[in-house]
Amino acid sequence: MSKDFYTISIKPYAAIIIKICRAYTNSQEDFEDYYQEVCLQIWRTRNNFRGQSEWSTWVYRLALNVSLTMLKKKKNNQQFFNSEFLPNELAESTQAFPDEALNQLYDAIKSLSEVDRGVILLYLDEKSYQEIAEITGTNANNVGVRIKRIKERLKKILDGKVN
Amino acid sequence: MEKSIESIWKQGFLDSDALVAPKVNDLYNRKSIHLIEKFKKMFQMNIWGIIIGAVILFVGSYLIGALIAGSILFIMLIYIAYTAYYELKTLEGIDKGQSSYFFLKSFKDWIDHSIDRYGKMYRVVYPLLLLTFYFGIWMSDVFAGMRELVAERTTDLIFGFHTYTSLVIIVAAILMSVFSKRIHKEDVSALYGGILKKLEDALAEMEELRDQHSI
Repeated sequence: MSKDFYTISIKPYAAIIIKICRAYTNSQEDFEDYYQEVCLQIWRTRNNFRGQSEWSTWVYRLALNVSLTMLKKKKNNQQFFNSEFLPNELAESTQAFPDEALNQLYDAIKSLSEVDRGVILLYLDEKSYQEIAEITGTNANNVGVRIKRIKERLKKILDGKVN
Repeated sequence: MEKSIESIWKQGFLDSDALVAPKVNDLYNRKSIHLIEKFKKMFQMNIWGIIIGAVILFVGSYLIGALIAGSILFIMLIYIAYTAYYELKTLEGIDKGQSSYFFLKSFKDWIDHSIDRYGKMYRVVYPLLLLTFYFGIWMSDVFAGMRELVAERTTDLIFGFHTYTSLVIIVAAILMSVFSKRIHKEDVSALYGGILKKLEDALAEMEELRDQHSI
């Protein structure tokens, strides 16, 4: 991977990758592993990008797919004692961010289903319903309903934790 | 006042320390270790498979009255298991401190060297296994009736064995000896094909990455 490719095509979108990878991992080690795998996947598939969507949308899609695939692989390997599969209340809080409220929000997001995690991350990053639908392979109406439901769930989880 | 999840999100990421990307270097570090660990586990299982197979054959040969052939097969299979175990020990010697690329490259060299060594060993082992199995079964107690039946119906016998069947087996044994490396390679790829493919893909990618200025 050339320095130029990383600087131009990945680095400006690192925030996207970090936000997604953090939502699917419970340790710094796994996070770094997922982050690197996403970078590699972007590099591997660089010639497949046709420019029909924004590069950032492409990065989102790849980051989500890689995270879901890696999670699935771990499940298939039956690494049930990995922190990834500990019930949320048992998983050690990663304290990945300096902001405590953000850490709590992430913990709440991690308790959602794998697909819901992706949807809410895209919503919070201000992607339109249409873009979210394109990335997650559903339709905009469905996304709207889903986001409403996810937000209610998150609020319930966070109630009493965030003032 | 209760914050909305949107405002928690926005405020949380205002801090510049919130989005520190990990260094993207030595991309294959964990991957290569996983790959080799997985291979080792499969290799160990394979050794145990050979040992268990040898014991089953030995007990089976005793039950059908072909103990000599069973013993020869048992000794040969245990010898194969022992050499495989010894081979595995040499795999432990690969320096894990080197870069992922050289680590995987050493692993690939180890596999190639191992296939080559085993290919030579199987030049003798494959035909011996086949011939021992054939002659052992033919001379076993359970085949006594069959031996009599063949002896009654044909004169094409040599030392009590059916000539043409024996010729076919001997030719097969010679062919197995000639193509031992090829057969062993196929055997390895049937057992470890998935891992070897991943190894080759990883090495190809790493070489491509190395050709450019790595980050």
